[in-house]
Amino acid sequence: MRRIGASLWFAWHSAGQNFKRNLGVSLAGVFTMGLIILLVGGALLFTHSVDSILQTQQNNASKIKIYISDSASLAQIADFQQRLKDDRRVISVAFETKDQAAKEASSDPDIQQALQTLGSNPLPASLNLEVKQLTDLAAFDKLAKATPIVDRTTATDYNPDVISKLHTVINVIEGIGIVIALILFAISLVIIMNTIRTAVYARRTEIEIMKLVGATDWFVRWPFILEGMLGGIIAAIFSGGIVFAGYHLFVQSAQRSLLSVPFDGGYAVTLLVLLLGGGALVGAFGSYLGVRRFLAV
Amino acid sequence: MSVAFAERFAMPAVVHGPRPVISFHGVSKVYGNHVVALREVDLAIHQGDFCFLVGASGAGKSTLVRLLIREETPSTGRIFVEGDEITRMARRKLPKLRRRFGIVFQDYKLLANRTVAQNVAFALQVTRPGQRHLREKVEEVLWIVGLEDKLDKFPDELSGGEQQRVAIARALVHRPHIFVADEPTGNLDPDTSWGIVQLLLQINHRGTTVLMATHNREIVDLVRRRVIAVEQGRVVRDEAQGSYLRPGDATL
Repeated sequence: MRRIGASLWFAWHSAGQNFKRNLGVSLAGVFTMGLIILLVGGALLFTHSVDSILQTQQNNASKIKIYISDSASLAQIADFQQRLKDDRRVISVAFETKDQAAKEASSDPDIQQALQTLGSNPLPASLNLEVKQLTDLAAFDKLAKATPIVDRTTATDYNPDVISKLHTVINVIEGIGIVIALILFAISLVIIMNTIRTAVYARRTEIEIMKLVGATDWFVRWPFILEGMLGGIIAAIFSGGIVFAGYHLFVQSAQRSLLSVPFDGGYAVTLLVLLLGGGALVGAFGSYLGVRRFLAV
Repeated sequence: MSVAFAERFAMPAVVHGPRPVISFHGVSKVYGNHVVALREVDLAIHQGDFCFLVGASGAGKSTLVRLLIREETPSTGRIFVEGDEITRMARRKLPKLRRRFGIVFQDYKLLANRTVAQNVAFALQVTRPGQRHLREKVEEVLWIVGLEDKLDKFPDELSGGEQQRVAIARALVHRPHIFVADEPTGNLDPDTSWGIVQLLLQINHRGTTVLMATHNREIVDLVRRRVIAVEQGRVVRDEAQGSYLRPGDATL
């Protein structure tokens, strides 16, 4: 216990000392790491924001209107509505009468004018469906077409093109976000490795003596790993703060310009924790790699 | 000082076992660039021996030392230290092996940003963290080398001889069985060198095996101890009470 405590104290003490002694190099390392963490955080948050905008679109897209033919009886409609309600893939079904449809549509002045000119209401009644998964929409479109009470000419408002494109865009953006984060992660690993290598080089005599008098590899390694972790965490705290503040500002300004970007506090906190953990991990692993070469005595 | 040394720095009593402390069996070392540093070296050093390892620069003295402390491995042959074959020793066992040695070099290898006491304490801190009575142990060993009044000086405030004494104190503080000195007087004037050798003789007097690589002719000829002469990678002479040069000869 005493030995472990003393080892930890030694490692912590020399990590701190090291950091102070090579303050210039250490700060340069922290700064570069900070920049990269900033980029990673920014990239992830941006992807997330775009994702949530698209997600909103997708939610809208996961609705389908099934147009009911004018000749259908209320009993038939109620029956069909019940059938849809019982379907596991369906979240909700709402019946929209011809009058409601007209009222809804008349928010557009052109349509309002057209309706007035016509004198009668050509808009069909509909069953408005919300489904759990976007991909199920096609099945409901098919089902509607096979149902007798559904309008022959326009069965639904389903548009497969828009939906599949939206799907692709979401996947591509998520993929790009992950790839960018991974590349930045690799770059920061190399940077930390070289920073630590400089620090190790400055202390090569010390390491040589440690090896000479019989210190174990891990005993030599720990201070550097702690130093790397320390740098990573400091970098993550600063960049995380900037990312968080930037996200806040971005959401505010986006809302002012009518672009509805939801502020996802939960995600931001998770991201901060991730950045901290990632910073520490990259710092530690980079140091491990950086010190490896000098241990081969 | 010799008596005080004997009293204060208690070492295990000298036991001349049948088995040598250090032995080389047909050891050769060829470096990557086809430079042959050692050829078929056979050696046996017993507990309590004091050996000079002599030879011109590049003769193979340093390679021999590096092989002994397993900084390098031989190309062929086997080396034993206290009965353990070190040539095939696993890497994780090396720290324990090195703790059996006290090692000093020509260039002292002191840490410039630590005081004399801190330099010596460092050796204990990194091998035996949480060591009790650290300060007492450090002061004791610095007293042995005659630097008890320089505890808080920094290396660059000391003379070369004093720096080498600090290095010796650091190598002694964990009470090694074998003391290896690679050209310890290489940077020192004759008087100071003689002081260092006296110190090594005292260390040997208490039972510690000492191997000193040197090309200091006066010292070797004055001390008259065992001399192992190396020339072009071969052991060309091994005498119990030898001199630097072959008697009546101009070469080793």
